[in-house]
Amino acid sequence: MAKVLVNVKNLVKNFDELEVLKDVSLTVNQGEVVSIIGPSGSGKSTFLRCLNALETPTSGTVEIDGNLVTKKHTNINRIRENIGMVFQQFNLFPHMTVLENITMAPVDRGHMTKSEAEKNGLSLLERVGLSEKADSYPKELSGGQQQRVAIARTLAMEPNLMLFDEPTSALDPEMVGEVLAVMKKLAAEGMTMIVVTHEMGFAREVSDRVIFMAGGYIVEQGTPEEIFDHPKEKRTIDFLQKVL
Amino acid sequence: MSLTDILPRLGASLFVTIKLAVISLVLATIIGMVFCLMSISQRKVLNYISMIYLDIIRGTPILVQAFFIYFGVPQLIQSLGFPIRLSPDTAGIITLTINAGAYISEIFRSGIEAVDRGQMEAARSLGLPKSRALIKVIIPQAIRIVIPSLVNQFIISLKDTSILSVIGIRELTQTGKLIIATSFESFKTWSLVALMYLILIKILSVISKKIERSLRNGKSSGKR
Repeated sequence: MAKVLVNVKNLVKNFDELEVLKDVSLTVNQGEVVSIIGPSGSGKSTFLRCLNALETPTSGTVEIDGNLVTKKHTNINRIRENIGMVFQQFNLFPHMTVLENITMAPVDRGHMTKSEAEKNGLSLLERVGLSEKADSYPKELSGGQQQRVAIARTLAMEPNLMLFDEPTSALDPEMVGEVLAVMKKLAAEGMTMIVVTHEMGFAREVSDRVIFMAGGYIVEQGTPEEIFDHPKEKRTIDFLQKVL
Repeated sequence: MSLTDILPRLGASLFVTIKLAVISLVLATIIGMVFCLMSISQRKVLNYISMIYLDIIRGTPILVQAFFIYFGVPQLIQSLGFPIRLSPDTAGIITLTINAGAYISEIFRSGIEAVDRGQMEAARSLGLPKSRALIKVIIPQAIRIVIPSLVNQFIISLKDTSILSVIGIRELTQTGKLIIATSFESFKTWSLVALMYLILIKILSVISKKIERSLRNGKSSGKR
């Protein structure tokens, strides 16, 4: 049995009156690539943001690599160091160069010296195909390049779980491919990934498991074949008809 | 009195004005930062303290604040049995500091809030504690945003030094009054006084435009 890396039980999240997550439980094993699909407003992003406590769940528990994220006095910063997150809007730091974006956290958190972090940062940039951009500022890069830098930035902390919150939704169509290619490479290298996405092709091709969420619940989950070729639930069928 | 008699006296008092403004604004920037951090803190007590401070300063004229600090506070302390005297200069610096500090704290707060929320989230998701995220990511960006408002506040405070003439500080305006009291050269004196303020503030805004421009190019904070 593979090691369980993410264990979510009965997660509920309300924003004031609005119930966004109604009762979500999920386990993800080490090395697994899980895609979460579903209509907007279904709670996909909120679910993802609860995993690294960017949102505080109303009730339920989230356990990452044996650490209870939802415990009151947990050292959330330590846990977050092991959870990379890639955002829809990239959120690169505009006042830092590309390389500084990547080296800031490992140096600040004492994982590496500055020179180690720079060496590591350059090799990460090579991995995402942006070696020549080390000294550029984020605004000088295209959206696809920015998102690849953002991926390199999270990798610099050597996380054992990566969360992707609609990583290609803010990109021009011709730039989606380059970001997905980097993500595919990561998946092939055995990174544990949870990806909220509208890219059905990516979900089908790369995921070990696809989760369909709607109305604050996990409606259906299974292998890509099960979900895309033989969906059982009516809501899944309706959704897939609209997007495929 | 001729121009050659008036100018040196005004020139000397201009330095008093500059000294008052510089000392007060340096202190006010520090105080403003402290109260700004208090106002965005998660501790309710600190929020309230900074809110009360801001309300008091915003809700009273600086003239009253100057009188209160120069005449009111020493009387209170003396009545408690501590013999203290406040020089006009000290009282003036305190007044300007707490006055500008309140406005600067609001300027800083609005600057921090103007930084995109995703920046804090990105920094926190990398494992940075809130304080480190503020220092490394939020504040450097907020500073760029606030520079125009900050300079504007500096200009207001610089001009507010003239109000401190009421407690007898021999700054530019007070010196102008004293010159006229003996020479009756109102037009000449006030023209020169106005011109001196004007030039001083013009210099300040030119410098700030330069800083703004260099920050906008994004090079000044980069170490590489």
